[in-house]
Amino acid sequence: MTTRLRRFRRAAREEAERLEEPVREAAALARKLGLDPYPVNYWVVDYDEMNQLIAYGGFQRRYPHWRWGMTYDRQQKQDQFGMGKAFEIVNNDDPSHAFLQESNTLADQKAVITHVEAHADFFRNNEWFSRFSGDNDLDAAAMLERHAETIQRYVDDSDIDREAVERFVDAVTCLEDTIDQHRPLSADPDTGRTQPEDLRERLDGMDLSAAVREAVFDDEWLDGLAEAEAAAADLDHPRSDVLGFLREHATVYDEEAGEAVEMESWQKDVLDLLRREAYYFAPQKMTKTMNEGWAAFWESLMMGEERFAGEDEFLTYADHQSRVLGSPGMNPYKLGKELWEYVENTTNRREVADKLLRVEGITWRNFHDAVDFERVQSLLEPPAAIDTVRSDTLDDLAALPEDDPRVDWEALDRALSDPDAVDIDRYPWKVLTYEGLAERHFSLLKPQYCGFLRRIRRSELEQLSRYMFDDEKYASVEEAIDDVDKTAGWNRMREVRRSHNDVTFVDAFLSPEFVEENHYFTYEYTRATGDFRVASTDHADVKKKLLLQFTNFGKPTIAVFDDNFENRGELLLGHRYNGIMLDIGEARDVLERIHELWGRPVNLMTIRKEFDEHEVEVARRRNREPEPTEAGVRIRYDGDSFDEFELEPELEERIQASDVDYDTKPEEWLS
Amino acid sequence: MGLREDLERFREVGEERREDLESFIRYGDLSGSNSDEIEIPIKVVDLPEFKYDQLDRGGVGQGQGGTPDVGQPVGQPQPQPGDGDGDGDEDGEPGEEGGEHGYYEMDPEEFAEELDEELGLDLEPKGKEVIEEIEGDFTDVTRTGPNSTLDFERLFKQGLKRKLATDFDEEFVREAMRVAGETPESVYRWCRAENILVSLPWIESEWDKIPDDERGRWDSFGEMTDNVERSTAVQRIRRRGLREIPFRRDDERYRHPEIEEKKQKNVVVVNIRDVSGSMRETKRELVERTFTPLDWYLQGKYDNAEFVYIAHDADAWEVDREEFFGIRSGGGTRISSAYELAKQVLEEQYPWAEWNRYVFAAGDSENSSNDTTERVIPLMRDIPANRHAYVETQPGGTAINATHAEEVDRAFADDGDVVVASVGSPEDVTDAIYEILQPASAKAKAETS
Repeated sequence: MTTRLRRFRRAAREEAERLEEPVREAAALARKLGLDPYPVNYWVVDYDEMNQLIAYGGFQRRYPHWRWGMTYDRQQKQDQFGMGKAFEIVNNDDPSHAFLQESNTLADQKAVITHVEAHADFFRNNEWFSRFSGDNDLDAAAMLERHAETIQRYVDDSDIDREAVERFVDAVTCLEDTIDQHRPLSADPDTGRTQPEDLRERLDGMDLSAAVREAVFDDEWLDGLAEAEAAAADLDHPRSDVLGFLREHATVYDEEAGEAVEMESWQKDVLDLLRREAYYFAPQKMTKTMNEGWAAFWESLMMGEERFAGEDEFLTYADHQSRVLGSPGMNPYKLGKELWEYVENTTNRREVADKLLRVEGITWRNFHDAVDFERVQSLLEPPAAIDTVRSDTLDDLAALPEDDPRVDWEALDRALSDPDAVDIDRYPWKVLTYEGLAERHFSLLKPQYCGFLRRIRRSELEQLSRYMFDDEKYASVEEAIDDVDKTAGWNRMREVRRSHNDVTFVDAFLSPEFVEENHYFTYEYTRATGDFRVASTDHADVKKKLLLQFTNFGKPTIAVFDDNFENRGELLLGHRYNGIMLDIGEARDVLERIHELWGRPVNLMTIRKEFDEHEVEVARRRNREPEPTEAGVRIRYDGDSFDEFELEPELEERIQASDVDYDTKPEEWLS
Repeated sequence: MGLREDLERFREVGEERREDLESFIRYGDLSGSNSDEIEIPIKVVDLPEFKYDQLDRGGVGQGQGGTPDVGQPVGQPQPQPGDGDGDGDEDGEPGEEGGEHGYYEMDPEEFAEELDEELGLDLEPKGKEVIEEIEGDFTDVTRTGPNSTLDFERLFKQGLKRKLATDFDEEFVREAMRVAGETPESVYRWCRAENILVSLPWIESEWDKIPDDERGRWDSFGEMTDNVERSTAVQRIRRRGLREIPFRRDDERYRHPEIEEKKQKNVVVVNIRDVSGSMRETKRELVERTFTPLDWYLQGKYDNAEFVYIAHDADAWEVDREEFFGIRSGGGTRISSAYELAKQVLEEQYPWAEWNRYVFAAGDSENSSNDTTERVIPLMRDIPANRHAYVETQPGGTAINATHAEEVDRAFADDGDVVVASVGSPEDVTDAIYEILQPASAKAKAETS
């Protein structure tokens, strides 16, 4: 056992030494490209350690729970049967920690390192992430470790039943996505309620005779009033941070006593910790596509175009990349990367068009005729000295004017005076600046985008020129192109990376061309044939369906509508219905667990689509889709059994979101 | 490391909270499992969460090599963002969130054992133990084995039989659809009268493919038959070749040498189901909910169990297992048609002297008038079997004209080998299975007590 460990450790150490230079240089290159990553600590781990880290979400210590064991088990089997191996995992922390699989080839390792640097940049600069820590230091590993210790302590505590802790964690985990992820954790939890004063208390103080009280303010009337007021006070402001609400107001169900009792301090503590973790992990779920796309974009630029992969590694890398980007289905790497490329290209195109429209004689009306696109293309080409940087071409760079912003003069001086200090043939980017690199990699010059400028729409040109005052700034196309800011695309990408999340990102940048080129389509279930069928290939529909899958982590939105429903202390949750039904079976299972956290009966309002069996049969025979009826229901669980009630119309109205429609079924379905 | 403990705990928790067999049979999703492998859900795996109804949600897919047409089936939904648990930044291979999990797999043998335990059953077929003494010859058969020992002749024969049993002259039926003024129903009725084993759904699915201007090609069925030549099954097979012979895993038998004397239990199970027009969704589901576990149980219980699957409306035809579960048809009901076919199959292939026979039928108990008393009951008496069972699937009690079960029950009141069970909702399934499989003596006891 010890020898085996030592051998592994030696292998890991050797691997670590081999990676020192790529790690250093990748971080430097990333910064040159305008990225601003957290410092990253890299660790080389073997496959088993990797599986463990994956199970723990990228950290070395988490609180005890069987769920990690389950993920580990799954990961291990996946690994074993060759169904997918993890190359790396990186966590959102300052500094970030990245773990590399020991058995990766050097090309894989380099790819992974460049990928990780981009993730670390994203973690640091995306606002959704910075909301969690605010101005405080983000020390995620330490936080999670503290949580682990605390919960472990409760598990080990002989006064607390181990199973009870586990069950409590289970119950809270079921709700980990029902938080208000758009508000920072540190903000005041929006969980308070303004309880209307019960008139009874005032009457008590008024010293009325019993006879008057009974005649004027009988109990029925008082109850009715209190109920109406409580309902009015509470229903106008549903809280989506269900976990936070429970933390503030919940009691728990005590099986022995058979009633609701105060939460014990360990329970409050565990609920707090788990809620904090839910908020910590939420940004990663909210930006998965953007973040993976971002990492894939910069990885590809560094590895491929900036040749961070050595000549001999390039094929291995190309294979690695095609496996990651090529897997079918909705692949966040591919979707994200292409959206980023779209942001880059459209910004660059706009920049070039903006300059061209300022040339005398070019207007949005004659743009496509007046502009010689091939000439523009060749004018955009970087000068040879920037385009080709080798140790034997450095003199060409040196010949550029001394204030040329594209050259890193300091590095160039060093390279010229001591050729051994800077390995220019390996790292040509070292003698260039951000501007120089942006020019080298200007996207409109890439062969796959050479027609992109020409394809600009008239409407966009018109919009650009609408408020353009100095539209005769340049006498010639040369002058105009000379003024093009080649960093525009990358600058814009960094702005987008700062403020967007997956929902806004897809909404803003998913283009019709993208949907078409990638043969995306939506599918829906049809009851006529009992299977899933292609429903639409229209880009607006595809976007709609994608947005459904990104909004609120792709989960239905549930909020607390009342914590004193019908004045009986019952919890009333509402599913904000957007046309897509809940999985009611699962929802009932969740209610059972919420009951444990609430202690009293819990209610869920939702809307169910019901199909008449006979109509389905008729529809089936006639090959058309049956029309569902939408029925508002309130499902109540009292700790023992479920009841279902018809939903009062005014409540039904409150959970209906009638302005959205995620259904993409065609009118003439299957006909 | 803490993870080891988490893993151990996961195994404990998973095993402990595995959905028990009984509630799985009642409520579980039976459709995903096949006959080699039964998937019992593990309750705890993946904690519940508020999520969208999967059917209602739909999704986004990516066409391989082109945008697909609207209306085209897409198979299983592809993994969607939001499906994974998403904790942490799970890099590595994308799409790893996909796939089903949360099932505990058992093979039919294990299933049978557990069901025995759960229901207190122990089904030992009486008598009919054929003792064979074989030395070194490749004559014994099992369901698995090296390819070189596959009994291809048998596989081929069984495939051919299935082919002939389900085959019909498609072109001829299409011509029938070109007769003026006919509807899918009338074509179907006519075909059935002509003994063409076509199903109504097939006609309906082909109906619109016939161009309108060809509709009046023939004035009547008579004119059509006079002008169009019917091809025989043999001709069709000659023409289309043998590639279309449906080879089934179920039919594969591997010979292996037996050196010792071995007791062999020969069991044949005939499953009959009513697929007539009155068998609507819920009734069909109840039939499948009863037959599927029964099928697994017997598959697991006997190494060399043979299964015969018969579907019937007013006529009966033999189908294979995959088709049997999920079959739909239309038309009237004549239960005796199925027993006639069962009798024929059993007599030809499974002589009573050598085989333990189980004949199970299920349906809504509706039959054409007098068919039960005049034909079915005599046929049942005429087919010797260890156990005859009829499962009545009538959601919410009996219907007025559903008298088949009652009549059978009355006729065989004192015969312990004939059992009638009634399934009105999924809750009744386990009881029904118990009734069907209980030892013969138990019925008598139950009746008297």
